[in-house]
Amino acid sequence: MNTLPLLLYAAAGVAYAIHFARRDQAVGRTATTLLLFGALVHTFVIGMQTMEVRHVPFANPSRAVSTFVWLLTLSYLYLELTTDERSMGVFILPVIVGLQAIPAVYPGVEYRDAVLDSPWFWIHVSSLLFAYASFGLSGILGLTYVLQFKEIKKKHLGYFYTRLPSLQVLDVMNSRAVAVGWVFLTFGVVVGAVWTAQARGIDPTDPNLQAMSLDDPKIFVAMLTWGVYSFAVVARRTLGWSGRRAAWLSALGFAFAMLNFLAINYFVTTSHTFY
Amino acid sequence: MHLFLLGVSHRTAPVDLRERLDFSSRDLSAAAEAIAHRPSMSESVVLSTCNRSEIYVASSDPAQAREELVGFLSDYHHVPAQAFQPHLFALENSAAVAHLFRVAAGLDSLVVGEPQILGQVKDAYQTAAGKQCVGPVLSNAFRWSFGVGKRVRTETALGEGAVSVSFAAVSLARKIFGRLKGRRVLVVGAGEISSLTAQHLRTQGVGEIVITSRTQANAEALANEVGGLAVPWEGMIGALGSADIVITATGSQRPIITRAQLEASHGYRRGTPLFIIDVAVPRDVDPAIAEIEQVFLYNIDDLQSIVEENLSRRKAEVERAESIVNEEVTKFMAWQRSRTAVPTVVALRQRFEAIRRSELQRLEGKLGSLPPEARARVDEITRLIVEKLLLEPTEQLKALPDEETQAAYTEAVNRLFKLTDEDSLDDTRGKRSESPKQS
Repeated sequence: MNTLPLLLYAAAGVAYAIHFARRDQAVGRTATTLLLFGALVHTFVIGMQTMEVRHVPFANPSRAVSTFVWLLTLSYLYLELTTDERSMGVFILPVIVGLQAIPAVYPGVEYRDAVLDSPWFWIHVSSLLFAYASFGLSGILGLTYVLQFKEIKKKHLGYFYTRLPSLQVLDVMNSRAVAVGWVFLTFGVVVGAVWTAQARGIDPTDPNLQAMSLDDPKIFVAMLTWGVYSFAVVARRTLGWSGRRAAWLSALGFAFAMLNFLAINYFVTTSHTFY
Repeated sequence: MHLFLLGVSHRTAPVDLRERLDFSSRDLSAAAEAIAHRPSMSESVVLSTCNRSEIYVASSDPAQAREELVGFLSDYHHVPAQAFQPHLFALENSAAVAHLFRVAAGLDSLVVGEPQILGQVKDAYQTAAGKQCVGPVLSNAFRWSFGVGKRVRTETALGEGAVSVSFAAVSLARKIFGRLKGRRVLVVGAGEISSLTAQHLRTQGVGEIVITSRTQANAEALANEVGGLAVPWEGMIGALGSADIVITATGSQRPIITRAQLEASHGYRRGTPLFIIDVAVPRDVDPAIAEIEQVFLYNIDDLQSIVEENLSRRKAEVERAESIVNEEVTKFMAWQRSRTAVPTVVALRQRFEAIRRSELQRLEGKLGSLPPEARARVDEITRLIVEKLLLEPTEQLKALPDEETQAAYTEAVNRLFKLTDEDSLDDTRGKRSESPKQS
């Protein structure tokens, strides 16, 4: 079911690449249309899965990835449509296509652990996925900032100079994406902690709950990610860490987030296995 | 009717001659009018910029037109004809159209791809049109040329990239700061480039422009020119602290802004970018300043090399632009030819319609007994038959490849259907009113 959105995203990716290389506005509009259409189909897929299991599908890692891709696509479309700036598409689409390939190849089955019946579960996961989507955007914005910065600083105005937005625009967008992501990350982590405390009262023998501590790699890396972004937010305001430093921080933070979301989530965690 | 062009441009004439033949400082519309009312010419557009003075006319006798135009130029500008005759270039029909399209596309400009020329071509046309000096020949060609100019700009990179130092500086500023609205500019030392750059920045909507110079009067003069604020030389370091864009252009032999000074004045605004444009030779700004993370320092050589790179990039686009122009010339000429077929097509249709009507008239006695619906049907069917018969010949006549073939076919059609016989056309009552007055 995740294959059709994947194909549409891939087609949009190709169109974004052609648009970027040739700076052809008509191809750019086609790219946006394809992406919008992909997001629409993806919404439909997620809607069906939600009806099937009666909650948004994200207890299973593959389905969580699909939901994350959907949020990332929507966030990117929001950014593109509000700023009228399409050049970032060529950077974000490989992330979208690459991640969407996971649920398309391994659809996974959504089982339901009794402990997930709480509304806290829904709030916890959706705010974290949204935070990751924001970080995804900020990571890409950071990368493009560095590309643009290099060309201007080294006085070698080339391929990216003419195609990417101004440094200021990239920096401001990056700072907003990080701030939004940080708020949702913090909220999601706090909700997770509160919910764990509550759940312990209900079923103290659940092995997942037993493992809920900083010793668990998933929780540890999540806290590390939170640390990186907290530093990014504070350093921008107090140390003047904007521009390239902020860009690198957001790329680093996103690397941690993806490490957690993919590698650790699939293979290592002992506390978040609900499938 | 022929499209004829006579003129001088930067390719054919030196600047002093171009200046003497320049119309733009005089009344362009009067000149266009004076030309259009000469015996051998029926339409005229005068295009005059600092790089060219060109007269486009519609004339039935180009040789005569040339002679009259030379006389006109000589009288109008009070320049003896022999002084400019060797520098004149004259083009006719498709060559003149091709030239016009190349001019509109910016291909014939001194700085290839410069954007002003298209507006100047449009203005020249509007001025002539305002005086009723244009007819079908020039208005078709000029209107088509606007489309060509636009097409070349959107489909090629011919007009891309700044090709002057001051524009290069402004476009860099835009890539650093995005919108320049509200940005603060400091100009140190009033010179030509700094003044031009400040003016461009002003049009981009920057906030305050602060100007300082060792000679207070120079600072004040420039401040008046760009709507800025002149401050005394001693206030330079203070102003540096709040500036986003700094332009330096003093004649100082030693750097006037050092890294230590900048760090002291800019210390509190860590993180915000600072763009320094140092156009002075020797340089005014200590090159070590470029090592500061958020400082972007460009000197005159850096800007010059950007300009050169952009120029060479534009040159690389010339071939594509030329092929667009050629393609458009071919299309335009074909369209023109299809327009010249119009009188024949109209006459042919009128002839057929006349035959149809007269036959219906002749059969009136037999058809009279039919009910009105059936009569209407007969009328409709005969009309459709005539339409169908004419469809293919019409298409063919409009799509003939060149003027010679066109003339041969027109002649043949005229003879075959006796189209020149005026009497046979009387019955048409001008049903189709397409103007046969086309060149």
